[in-house]
Amino acid sequence: MQAVITHPGPLEEAIEAPSARAELDPARIASVILPSKSLTAAERVGVYHGMYLLRMIEALEGDFSAVAHFLGNDAFADLVTRYVQVHPSVSYTFNVLGNDFPDFIRASKGLRRRGFAADLARLELAVTAAFDAPESPAWPAEEIARMPESAWESAVFEPIAAFRVLEFAYPVNAYLQSVKDDVHEHPEPARTPSFVAVYRKNYEIWRLDLSRPAYRFLNALAEGRPFGKAVADAARAHQGNPGDQLFRWMRDWVAEGMFQSVRIAP
Amino acid sequence: MRPNSSVSRNRWGFPDLGIGVGLRTVHYSHILENRPEVDFFEVLSENYMDTGGRPLWVLDQIAEAYPVVLHGVSMSIGSADPLDRHHLGKLKALAARTKALWVSDHLCWTGVAGRNTHDLLPMPLTEEALSHVIGRVKTVSDILERPLILENASTYAEFAASSMPEWEFFARLMDEADCGMLLDVNNVYVSSFNHGFDPKEYLDAIPPDRVAQYHLAGHTHKGTHIIDTHNDHVIEPVWDLYRHALARTGNAATLLEWDADIPAFEVVHGEALKARAHRREEAPVAAAAS
Repeated sequence: MQAVITHPGPLEEAIEAPSARAELDPARIASVILPSKSLTAAERVGVYHGMYLLRMIEALEGDFSAVAHFLGNDAFADLVTRYVQVHPSVSYTFNVLGNDFPDFIRASKGLRRRGFAADLARLELAVTAAFDAPESPAWPAEEIARMPESAWESAVFEPIAAFRVLEFAYPVNAYLQSVKDDVHEHPEPARTPSFVAVYRKNYEIWRLDLSRPAYRFLNALAEGRPFGKAVADAARAHQGNPGDQLFRWMRDWVAEGMFQSVRIAP
Repeated sequence: MRPNSSVSRNRWGFPDLGIGVGLRTVHYSHILENRPEVDFFEVLSENYMDTGGRPLWVLDQIAEAYPVVLHGVSMSIGSADPLDRHHLGKLKALAARTKALWVSDHLCWTGVAGRNTHDLLPMPLTEEALSHVIGRVKTVSDILERPLILENASTYAEFAASSMPEWEFFARLMDEADCGMLLDVNNVYVSSFNHGFDPKEYLDAIPPDRVAQYHLAGHTHKGTHIIDTHNDHVIEPVWDLYRHALARTGNAATLLEWDADIPAFEVVHGEALKARAHRREEAPVAAAAS
């Protein structure tokens, strides 16, 4: 029954599929499922078959609404139909169903602008992850002033659980915003690097565009690089001393609640 | 804002919480801002097990202000797969966090071989299946440290191997596994149309003292069959069945489900409150307020 319900094709094809045949000869279906006054045995199983894919599409559309908007309803439904054949739900929750969706899109040869769509899916997945992450209290901004100057060099900043910093090959954050706007003025999905921090503040999700240097610096900190080394890395990349800029960024990020604690390495 | 609840006639003394509404995301802001006078909220368990964000923050506030019951869709109590103890552990923790008065799920299976179709699939109503489910219900009740409440699902297919009607399966299951029932009157109506049985025969066969809660909902009539879509008002024949059931069980906590094309909170709550008239009409509260 499950083999028929989850088959991507029409009911007749689903009943005849090898996976279903392995369980039951199609000619014997009426010996397992009773017909009703108005439906055959196959049609009754078909009620469940018809709802399965709709449920999967609806679930992923909730998490990847911008991807659905970009691809269009039919292409998105087709993509999800193929996706759940490879990555069916194996959890009690839909929350993790889309975890492999970005990689699946990237590998979907023939899909229109798949590189852009995959990046967009990765951003939406990060938003979902930040939405559901455990709540961790932010490190208070006023603590910056209390940090001894000598402590900064070896300070390791731990981001809150609801934090992601990402690098993309396309301007997907601008596209996501254009989908959310009342009037959709989409940016050209041309190859242009972009960098975004996704984080939760007061139970709302925020997406902050970053420059490449800001991304590199924030990403280094998020990966546990001591502050002094992250600054040195940034200085080398800049071929100069970007100190003031780095401290301004740091102050802003702390004020936004991106970090939950600071560990001073011995 | 915890309304007075009354003792109902079920064997566990679960209170008759009155008329409740399912907690849905689209109504979060309305509820938090207006604190409507709702007798209780039913919470979809799986929606809150793996989130630490706004949904859980909202739920904490709701659970602080209103009585809460948990209702799940993924226990898959009828499956041949092993019980998901990770899921059950999270369910138990959520019940403790929300001080849920009871925990319910469905008599169904949702998948086998590790997969979840996220549908409430029909059981073969056989002695073998009954024995299988009895054992699993006992295990779940032990883990949760409370009686499990199971809802009758709407079904669209019947197995030729079934040797008893669903109401007999349910009655024997509840007796032998010592579990309770969330009696979905709309589902009885939907299944009675789809399978051609008398819905009142179903209701009359359910031991009244096992009914902890009622569900009401709208559905979609497709001509050849009815789908349980939770997207409309409750139709009169379902209200009639509700009155019939209450005459046997006395008043019990009653909840309106509205899960698709969800209208404004007031519309959903207004539909739920229609149940109040039916309760007063035929089944006065069984015992004094606690």
